[in-house]
Amino acid sequence: MKQIITLKVNGDTHQVAVSPWHTLLEVLRDQLGLTGTKRSCGMGTCGVCTVIMDGKAILSCLTLAFECEGHEITTIEGISGEGTLHPIQKSFIENGAIQCGFCTPGIIMSAKALLDENPHPDDEQIREALSGTFCRCTGHIKTVEAVKKVSASYGKGKNDGE
Amino acid sequence: MVSRNDRYSVLGTRQPKLDAPLKATGRSQFTDDIILPGMLHGKIVRNSIPRGKILTIDTSKAEQLPGVKAVITHKDSNGMMVGPDQQLLCNETVNYVGDEIAAVAAVDEDTAAEAAELITVEYEPLQPLFSMEEAAAEGAPILHEYFQDNYADEIKIQFGDPDKAFSESEYIRVDTYTSHPTHNCFAEQHIAIADYSLPDKLVIWTPSQSATLIQNSLAQAFDISGSKVRILNLNTGGAFSGRGVARPHHFIAALLSRKAARPVKIICAADEEFLVCRSGGKNRFTFKTGVKKDGTLKVIEADFLHDCGAYIETQFIMLRIIGANLQLLYKLDAMRYRGKLVYTNNRPYFFHHGGGIVPMRFAFGTHLDRIAQDLGLDPVEIRLKNAVDKGYTTPGKVHFASCGLKECIKKASRKAGWKKKYGKLPSYRGIGIGCGVINSGGKTVFDHDTSGAFLKIGEDGKISLFTGLPDMGQGSHTTMAMIAAETLGISADDITVVSGDSDVDPIDTGAFGQRGTFTAGNAVKIACLDAKRQLVKTASKKLGVKPSALIFRDRKVYLKGTPEKAVPFEEVVYDTLHSLEGRYVMGRGFYNPPADPTDPTTFEGSGALAFSFGAQIAEVEVDPETGIVRLLKMTVAHDVGRAINPLAIEGQLDGQVFSAMSQTLFEECVMEKGQVLNASRLEYKLPRPFEVPEIAHIIVETNDPYGPFGAKEVGEGPIVCTSQAIANAVNNAIGYPITEFPITPERVLQALRQKSKGQRETP
Amino acid sequence: MRLPHFEYVKPATLEEGLKVLHQSGNKARILAGGTDLLVNMKYRVVRPEIVMGIKSLPELCTVSSGSNGSVTIGSCVTLTDLAKNSLIAENYPALKLATTSIASKHIRNMGTIGGNVCLTTRCWYYNQSKLWRDGREVCHKAGGTVCHAIKGSTRCHAINNSDTIPVLIVLNATMVLKKKGSERLIPSKEFFRDDGIRYTVLEPDEILTALLLPESSGDSYITFIKVCSRKGLDFAWGSIAASVTGSNGKCTQASLVLSSIASAPLVLKKTSQVIIEGGLSEQSIEKAVETARSELGILTNLFTSAGYKRDLSQVLVKRALGELQGQMKKERRTKA
Repeated sequence: MKQIITLKVNGDTHQVAVSPWHTLLEVLRDQLGLTGTKRSCGMGTCGVCTVIMDGKAILSCLTLAFECEGHEITTIEGISGEGTLHPIQKSFIENGAIQCGFCTPGIIMSAKALLDENPHPDDEQIREALSGTFCRCTGHIKTVEAVKKVSASYGKGKNDGE
Repeated sequence: MVSRNDRYSVLGTRQPKLDAPLKATGRSQFTDDIILPGMLHGKIVRNSIPRGKILTIDTSKAEQLPGVKAVITHKDSNGMMVGPDQQLLCNETVNYVGDEIAAVAAVDEDTAAEAAELITVEYEPLQPLFSMEEAAAEGAPILHEYFQDNYADEIKIQFGDPDKAFSESEYIRVDTYTSHPTHNCFAEQHIAIADYSLPDKLVIWTPSQSATLIQNSLAQAFDISGSKVRILNLNTGGAFSGRGVARPHHFIAALLSRKAARPVKIICAADEEFLVCRSGGKNRFTFKTGVKKDGTLKVIEADFLHDCGAYIETQFIMLRIIGANLQLLYKLDAMRYRGKLVYTNNRPYFFHHGGGIVPMRFAFGTHLDRIAQDLGLDPVEIRLKNAVDKGYTTPGKVHFASCGLKECIKKASRKAGWKKKYGKLPSYRGIGIGCGVINSGGKTVFDHDTSGAFLKIGEDGKISLFTGLPDMGQGSHTTMAMIAAETLGISADDITVVSGDSDVDPIDTGAFGQRGTFTAGNAVKIACLDAKRQLVKTASKKLGVKPSALIFRDRKVYLKGTPEKAVPFEEVVYDTLHSLEGRYVMGRGFYNPPADPTDPTTFEGSGALAFSFGAQIAEVEVDPETGIVRLLKMTVAHDVGRAINPLAIEGQLDGQVFSAMSQTLFEECVMEKGQVLNASRLEYKLPRPFEVPEIAHIIVETNDPYGPFGAKEVGEGPIVCTSQAIANAVNNAIGYPITEFPITPERVLQALRQKSKGQRETP
Repeated sequence: MRLPHFEYVKPATLEEGLKVLHQSGNKARILAGGTDLLVNMKYRVVRPEIVMGIKSLPELCTVSSGSNGSVTIGSCVTLTDLAKNSLIAENYPALKLATTSIASKHIRNMGTIGGNVCLTTRCWYYNQSKLWRDGREVCHKAGGTVCHAIKGSTRCHAINNSDTIPVLIVLNATMVLKKKGSERLIPSKEFFRDDGIRYTVLEPDEILTALLLPESSGDSYITFIKVCSRKGLDFAWGSIAASVTGSNGKCTQASLVLSSIASAPLVLKKTSQVIIEGGLSEQSIEKAVETARSELGILTNLFTSAGYKRDLSQVLVKRALGELQGQMKKERRTKA
């Protein structure tokens, strides 16, 4: 039996009818039309479905929609301003960190969660944040570089390798 | 670093991918994002034993489940075959775990899954065969009854006189290597949406490397003409040689849609991915090579055995690709090659990113190092001594109009500090070299290798460029736009690439065989020259100068030497339309490399005009207690002909080094009884950011006479160099050769144990 | 892959939750972070009728210190929060190290310490979808009668891959288990069972509510080492926690615990005794490494070969004792 729950996504409040077994990923994509978050392994190994909940990067494929009430959820659709891209998005574009693009939203959201918490992570912290994601095309080389460049652009602070 | 050539205004610039903003914002549509009115969800019922006879299939309970709109078995497929040995939906025998038997379409995924569970199949198990040797042995059960044995395909190629060359050799060495099955593991899972609800057209949405091949297969299977099949490839989330042809789920989605008269989406779940992927299988490579004592190569004799798995599908291509590549890298007097594909009851294989050449070059590259070691020669020097050159023609009549192999070897070894390091590193640190070559396109599938291109120019001077070449992330569309921009003297940002609809796209065989930049790029250039000719008439009249004196550059048109008197490009376009003639500028072109196809009997020739070359140096550190290998640094040099987009080239070099490192040190489908034991992306090891080495790029330009602006491929050439470099570095670090691939920690410890026991190297 | 259907219950209090468990018997499973249970549900190896979400219960989500210097960790504290907690970082840095080695940041943001302690044992033949498992006889863990990991075995050999367990045992942590109307305290050493199916003493109607850590000792040294294929994501191929108390190379206490090798953490009693008797000399460490091999018991070829597990176990013992020796020489204590 479906229940109506309230979800706060990208600053908007939605009432959706869900069953207990529906994951946050399924609700975002199938009911809210937010298809920017992609589905892939569904088992927590690839990070493609990463969204931010209460400031932390989580895997929406392993999160029950029922357990998301009362939390703030941000998806890839919610990080750019009106007509402008988020600095992380710009950096990924300019630095060649996007190839097929399927894993890109998950990696960008992982990077955003990191930089929101710590604008000047060192090399190890960046790699740690992205280790939960998987990019077969870029091999994680330009993605790490792109995150470093955003961090450097945030003003003075320690940043390994820059 | 590529030095900018001022001759070009666009080529050589670091151009971000034109579709990157859509991908960065999640707005790029992939097949799973599509919702069609009335769309159903399909689920395939797969067999769970490796080999058996089907006794009964009972679909009655599934048909009665509310929400189920169609159930199909072989009865609905009219005996449809998807390969010479493969029935789409099995009705007699099943030949591997995962064989398709039935399928359902229902109102949602959960109902479809429930219905699939309700279909029951009874089998009589038959004796399965899992090893090539078992299947090839005399007296082995014949897996496909209409064959005489279990060889799915065999090929023999010989150039020159190998026996004579062996008799002239001063040293001969024989080695055998083994590589294990892999999985391409692209991010976007296998998926197809089919709409065959109206009889006049079958529409398929799917990620793909070749709409043409998928279209052809489906048309043939449904006995309709090609134009009745429309393939829509919005975006492709990675391919790595795994999406070149139609797979069972394409046909099944179409059959379900026809029966239900509604669109049907089938997406393969995580567990199915390890069954439906078509990636490398187990291979055994035996090399017997004859050389002079100074290291001059005389002859290579190669015997390869490949596990075909249950069905041949398109694996005959792999035998030919590998055989053809053998003779391309080093000068030889002769070559003899025998390749065999053996049926087993493992999943059907193919190759993983690199044409099957990656494991073959791992094998030959390490074999060559052992020859060098035996003769007291430096591995870099033996490669330089034998490397092919520009102007060289191989014993198999393949000619190199451009070749930067020696330049790559020299530059890579210099930058990596080879002389300072080789033989001088501390214990358990090693350095190794690998070289590779691959064709830029070629006539391997059809007698032609044609790509077409169209463009139209709007009044505002903006271009719509139509190409049938898919972009799976390699940046092919941006490359096409840059070629067009350079030809027309505008900016890549002025171009919208239109692609992904077979009803609209011009012909293109597809993004495989490394043909994109070379073949489609040439087609685009020809189409742009066609459009340019129409604009030249207007511009020469406008400026009062001869057409041959005009320059198109930086969005302007001007007499050579007088850019200050230029007219804007869009003004020339506007004037061309707003004239008495009223010419709307459109360009069209096609390109088919003017090379003879490979002779089907002698295998001479290659159908390709250009080849990319590379050399890479790997530096590793081995933990002798755990066996874990850490790849510290890769120095990567690649001859790309002309660097159209250095940013994208670096991305390709990085991605391919990562992928090859992964195949060399991490990836292995651990097989048991026809099943993958580590069938998840957790247990099937793919490295992540911490495992990435430092990478130094060296882009070499040799200006190929046939490539568009001299460009050649870079989509798969680099990856064939990496594995052997890493393997040679590991062997250098531990002082003992490893002959199995991937080089796992257990294999490293085994090698160290063998070394300490003073055991002879395993041949 | 999609989840099977179930009823979801979210109790407002721990007491309410315990009542639900009591009434549901084997039909219910508790859900904390979801990174273990939901994966196994997608594989259809676990199909509870009721899933009870306990992650938000305030009683389970705090880290607090006691008057006697002990620390209580609520079982639903997320791994990320645990690693960040200053009480843990200052007093039990080995626990912080083990916690931050788990999986990925994403998983640590969701997963809980209780979930890691109660992590389901894993096996190549069990943690597969139904399609995969249908091709073979049903194994012990899935309710059948065979073991595919060790042919002919009458028990399950699925492996315990928790990274925090060896540290908790070495720290002499105590588990607090509650059921409706009662509570029991179980020393961590006794919490685990060498059985791939019943791998802890937790009853179906019990919840692990907290971990009690005794006051960290000022005169001990501790280390944790994890070896795996990839940093930042993997379960271990083998991990070890080791601690000694002593000085000048002599030890009055020693404890070594291996994880990810077998169905239960392996407490190396004989190996510890070698160190207590011989101290942290090179000779003694060598003898300890040799002794460790004899304490491993029957090992499987799951994830790595049995031979590799044996080799790796010895390497872990050697490296852990070497690390402790180094700490002791420098008198650089990592508080235990």
